[in-house]
Order: sequence, then structure tokens, then C-alpha cells
Amino acid sequence: MSIFLQALLVALFVTIAFIDSHTFQTHIFRPIVVGPVVGLIMGDVATGFAVGVSIELMFLAVIFVGTALPPDPTISTAIAAAIAILGGGGTELAVATALPISFIGQIAATFQNSVINIWFMHKVDHAVEKLDIKGIRRNNMIYPMLVNFLLYGVPTFLAVYFGSDFVAQIIRAIPDKLITGLSVGGGMIGAVGFALLLTTIKSKRMWPFFLLGFFFASYLNVNMIGIAMLAVVCCALYFYFKLDDQNNHN
Amino acid sequence: MGKKLNKKDLWKVFWNQMTIRAANNYERQQNAGFTQSMIPVIEKVYETDEEKKEAYERHMEYFLTNDITSAIPIGISAAMEEENANSEDFDPSIIGAIKTALMGPLAGLGDSLLNGTARPILASLAISFVQSGLGWIGPLFFVISMSFVSIGTRYLGVFQGYKQGIKLVDTIQNSGLIDKVTELASIAAYMIVGGFIPALVVINTPIVVGSGESQLILQETLDGLMPGVLGLGYTMLMFYLIKKKKISATILILLTMLVGVAGVYLGILG
Repeated sequence: MSIFLQALLVALFVTIAFIDSHTFQTHIFRPIVVGPVVGLIMGDVATGFAVGVSIELMFLAVIFVGTALPPDPTISTAIAAAIAILGGGGTELAVATALPISFIGQIAATFQNSVINIWFMHKVDHAVEKLDIKGIRRNNMIYPMLVNFLLYGVPTFLAVYFGSDFVAQIIRAIPDKLITGLSVGGGMIGAVGFALLLTTIKSKRMWPFFLLGFFFASYLNVNMIGIAMLAVVCCALYFYFKLDDQNNHN
Repeated sequence: MGKKLNKKDLWKVFWNQMTIRAANNYERQQNAGFTQSMIPVIEKVYETDEEKKEAYERHMEYFLTNDITSAIPIGISAAMEEENANSEDFDPSIIGAIKTALMGPLAGLGDSLLNGTARPILASLAISFVQSGLGWIGPLFFVISMSFVSIGTRYLGVFQGYKQGIKLVDTIQNSGLIDKVTELASIAAYMIVGGFIPALVVINTPIVVGSGESQLILQETLDGLMPGVLGLGYTMLMFYLIKKKKISATILILLTMLVGVAGVYLGILG
């Protein structure tokens, strides 16, 4: 495949991913999916998976709460994976480039919410005034979805198409220790996501289950699927014992 | 007298609900999406243009909640618009009041259960599938399970919301259902986070104290005491900084990368 076609396909996938994130939310816009798909387009699925997993961990628990927009995981994963494959710089470097790109995605999303969509929403107001049902659908759904191509698809295309040589040059200039350091930092970054997740948990007095999970994994080497199974068991036990307790009191 | 909604109309509402955040904007947030979701209802139950316009304008007001749980107030609004069209003494201002009352709790519920619990847990599982060599099974599992969560919740929201109508508000608030679900979700979230730390927060130190026979390799000593203790400690530090010091996660992500690089240059991390 020519680089033009590859860049175009990546850009199209990014656009579709954004449409998904604004509508059905099947979550094809998450790094764990974007990485491998871009890998497939660029002809290196293994690197796609590696980049997808690393960035997914980075964004594990960054939550869209209220009006605050998080750094964007979709566009950053797509460009980082493409650049890692074209430049051959490895996963660590891709993850390091993903972060600055994610802020560009965040800026584009802010622009979309604060300017473009306000304009479309006023168009919906006018359509309501004239009871123009098609007008409501066009301005709420069709046009904003098309804008996603301009806002996210076009920059992705440019970055993948023109960026590879440029990025390859930068990669050669980067010292080894820095790359090791970035990979060490990348290994620690999951802590931020988990910490963020801990702050959102509602029933604070359930915290012993946090240590229980940790000890099972730490001392007994139970893997992540095993931990998920244990969590289900603990939920069931808690549910039964608590119901029992309530029945005895009544 | 207006008409009643049937299953087919609710399916149309369900599909239109998908556009709830399509034109999300900082002025009135999800209002245009909410209005599009109500098209099948308003067109069915009202006769005159005047009634229709009034109903559409009602839903162009400010509305903001979680994208997925927004299906619940949409289902309830469908029931209330139908009631308004069919009964003489229904006060339509109740519709807006109930929507507003539901915004906060449903945003909290949706953000913490769907984005804060379901998504990170399913993503972590998908990652573990990939890491154990299952390849495409990981992302495929993630997309299928998240579609189930996202689209299934919307389906339940629209259909059950309509069915329960105004009653639903009382049911949710009085049955203690939210409390029960919150407790179980908290147990699951705590265990998953605790259990995933040793594998997903990796911190190793090459520090060696002393030399020759008496030398002490710090990492081996730590692993003997409690494997993964550095990852646990660092996660607790991040938790403290976010919770107590109100430092944003974005800054902590940048700082962590800096700590990694500085640690390697100083020879304390590797």
C-alpha cells in the first residue's frame, strides 16, 4: 500500500471512531482498538497492539465528567501507532509522542464544543421554529458528524503522510537513556489512572477489598482474569451476607 | 385527543437517542440531541403545529447528563409528553422539572458505573487478553462488551423509562437500588484496581547498597517483603496528590514521565 492510501485509511478510521464516540459508543475509539487497527493498515499489527495497550493504560481511567474534556486518546493513538511503525522508534517513543498529540485532540474537541456545535445548535433552534424535522436532524446529526472529518480526520492524514520522515529524523537524534526513561515512566503511568479511579469510588468503606485484590496479585500471583473472577465472588458473598443480615434484623 | 405511543415509536426514539451528544455544545450541552430523540414522540402524539412547536422548544432547553444514561429521562419524557397530549390537567412544566432533577444523579451514576467502572475493568481485561497472546480477541471482547453496556443501557433506559414513566423517579430514589448497586460496584472497582497494580504499575530500581559479600540488592529485598510494593506506594502517592492536593491527572501523567526519565539519569530507576 502506498503511504498516501495508508494515511487516508487511518484518517477515515479516526473519523469513524469519532463518529462512534459521539453516537453509538461501541468504543472503537479507545486505544486498545485504534492501535491494532492502525497497525493492520500500516502493515505491522504487533507494534499496533503494543502502542494500543500502552496508551490504553495511560488513559485507563481518564473520565469525561460534566463539561471537562480529557486529552484525546483516539487521534493520539492513531498518529503514535503510525509513527512508531513508519519510524521504527518502538513503543516507548510512540507513547511519548502520544501525549502532546492528545492535547491537540483536546483543543480540537474544545473548539468543536464551544464554537462549531453552538452554531449548529442555533440552526436547530431555527429548524424548530419552522417545524422543519429534517432540519433538526441535519443540524444535530449529519453536519456535526461531517465536521469530525475536518477536525480529526484531516490532521491525522497530514501527520501520517508528512510526519514520518520528520519524526524518523527526530528519533535518530534522541539519546538512549531518554528512551529508557520514557519507557520507565510509561510503566509507572498506570498509577495515575488507578489513582483517579480510586477517587471516583462511591462506598469508601469498601477499601479493604482494594488490599485484598492487591495481596492476591502480589503474593499469590493471581493474574488479572483471576482477580476479576475473585471480584465477582466477593460481590456475591457481600450481597448474600448483607441480605441475610437485613433479614435477621427484620 | 392525542395518540398513544407503540413499540415501533419507542424503537425510533431509541435510534434517535444515539445522537444525544452529536451536537454537544457548551451553551446548552445535549439539548439538540434530546430534541432529536423526541421527534418520533412529538410527531405522533400532538395534532396541531402549535402544540408541536411548544414541545420541541421545551426540549431545546439546557440538558446535560451522561450520554448513555440520558436514555432514561428520554424514555420518561416520552411518557410525559404522551400524558400531556392525552390529559387536560397535566402541567407540561413538570417535564422540564423532572428532566432537570434527573440530570445530576444520572450523570453521577453513568460516569461512575459506566466510564469509571465498566470501561476501565473491561479495558484492563482486554489488555490482559492481548498480553497473554490472544491478539484480536482483546479488542474484539472490549468492543462487544462495551457495545452491550452502551447500547443495552440505552435500550433499557428508553423502554423502561417510558414504561415506568413518572413512577420511575420515585422507585429509583426510594427503593435503595442505587445504594446497593453502588456498594457492589465499589467492591469490584477496589479489587480490580488493587489486583491490577502489581502487573500494570511496574517500578524497578537498580540500586545496590554495599559491595561484595554484604551487598544488598534493593529490588530483591523489596520483592521478598512484598512484590509490587513500589507500584502500590506510587499509586497511593498519586491518589493523595489528586484527592488532597487537587493536582490534575494530566499534570501527574506528565510528571510521571519526567520522574521516569530523571530516575534513569540518576540511576535510581531502571
